[in-house]
Amino acid sequence: MTEEKPKDLFDEDEEFDPLEADDDVIDQEWMDDDNPYDTVDYPTMRNMPESMPGSGTRTMFTPAAQGSVAEAVRKLVDYNPARRQIFLNIIDMCRDGELASVVTEKVDALQKHNRSVFPAMTLCHMLERAGALEMEMPEVAEEHEDLEDGTTYLVIDEEVDPVWRSTEEGLAVHEELTQGREAREVILDRDNKYAEVYLAVMQAMDAAPCSREEIDNLTDTFDVVYHPRRYGTHFLDMLEKTDCCIWRDRAWHLTDLGHDLLPEVLAFCEQHMDDEPKQDEQKQEA
Amino acid sequence: MATELTQDTQEIIELFESRVNMYGLLSRLFRSEIDLDELHELQKMHFPTATGNAMIDEGYRDLYEYLKVAWEDSVTELRIDYVRTFIGHGVNGYSAAYPFESVYTSERRLLMQGARKEVLAEFRKNHLKKDKWTEGEDHIALELEFIQRLSMRTIEALKKDDEDDAIEQIRRQYEFLQAHINNWLPMMTADMLKFSQTGFYQGLAKLALAYTEDDEGVLRELLESVEEEE
Repeated sequence: MTEEKPKDLFDEDEEFDPLEADDDVIDQEWMDDDNPYDTVDYPTMRNMPESMPGSGTRTMFTPAAQGSVAEAVRKLVDYNPARRQIFLNIIDMCRDGELASVVTEKVDALQKHNRSVFPAMTLCHMLERAGALEMEMPEVAEEHEDLEDGTTYLVIDEEVDPVWRSTEEGLAVHEELTQGREAREVILDRDNKYAEVYLAVMQAMDAAPCSREEIDNLTDTFDVVYHPRRYGTHFLDMLEKTDCCIWRDRAWHLTDLGHDLLPEVLAFCEQHMDDEPKQDEQKQEA
Repeated sequence: MATELTQDTQEIIELFESRVNMYGLLSRLFRSEIDLDELHELQKMHFPTATGNAMIDEGYRDLYEYLKVAWEDSVTELRIDYVRTFIGHGVNGYSAAYPFESVYTSERRLLMQGARKEVLAEFRKNHLKKDKWTEGEDHIALELEFIQRLSMRTIEALKKDDEDDAIEQIRRQYEFLQAHINNWLPMMTADMLKFSQTGFYQGLAKLALAYTEDDEGVLRELLESVEEEE
């Protein structure tokens, strides 16, 4: 039994002041039926219909809500862009199972330059709800201790450190999201009008980590960013969301994925630049 | 009584020391959420398996089963369950196990009602006033700590061989348990079993209810033995 000492909620004082508290501020008699502040009959959260926003599991990313584990994990990552890389890293580090204490340590290190209100275990539980992770609780034997007076006590001898393990579905989504599909979709397709700008930004970060100001100055040298106006942060934002760059040590760094994609973006730009004069000639002939 | 106390003083002191610990523990667990250090402290506890009261054993067993596999993340789980159990998210007075006597003893389940006045008067009578406490004085944590304080005074009186004062302290505890704690704790613990979702607070509900009811019987027996002596 733990020794519990009084927590000083009381102050033992012989010179007690009876006027210190006013007991008659609130009186039940005052709370009559016509009192508008009487909330007894007001509807409560518990009575809210399931369809109300925020009720039930609609706001959570779960296989039940999204239809499948893959979709729930994709949505979870998509709706939390700032945690995207952390989520993907957690799935990867738990590939062969990892102790919760180690996951906490690694995630804290990963979030060192990109702080979050979510502690590591909350992120793991979010992935667990989506179906990307499973928690394995070790078996704990029941320990007894018999005392001299003949009484038997249950005691806890070992500390528990559960193991987080990625599910196959979680790993499949991880593979899907870390092969650069989304980066290609943005740089080479949806945003390909700025391919040269992306290339310049990626090359600059590949050469050395860059500040936002440096990226801004770089992107402003391209005419295409003036109509409509696109600042350096737009390109950083898109590259970060697609795992091509990361903020670390007060600078933007190109990731391994970004580095691997550089030749592809370069080839695309060269081809595009070759095509452009031909298209201009065709227009002039027409 | 004087003779019996003299003979069994040490045993009675041990009984009251155990009550001081138990009421202190219960008061702490009801007062607020526990932190990681306190969780580790609780894991060092010895949980009796056969106290002679089935519900106390069940309460200890629930606490043990939860704490046996509790880890760092359990602190967050317990915080959530504490809020779910004792604060809730409704405004109708029926959405949680509200830890205030007034809620369970007033017609409209309101805070700061007659029970709070009575409890406050009792505290004043015993020269106790709130220090860091900022809520109603009829909170279960405060009522349990009140019993803890009087138990400590009983021990002091016994050690000073002031038997009249010891008996008076025991009588006050018995009357307070009967008139207050055991008057509404059964209803609150029933709500705790309804709203809490962890074995920890389920166990606490069973342990608190069974222990305080059992303790009232112990105090009654002590007082009856005094009357017989007289």
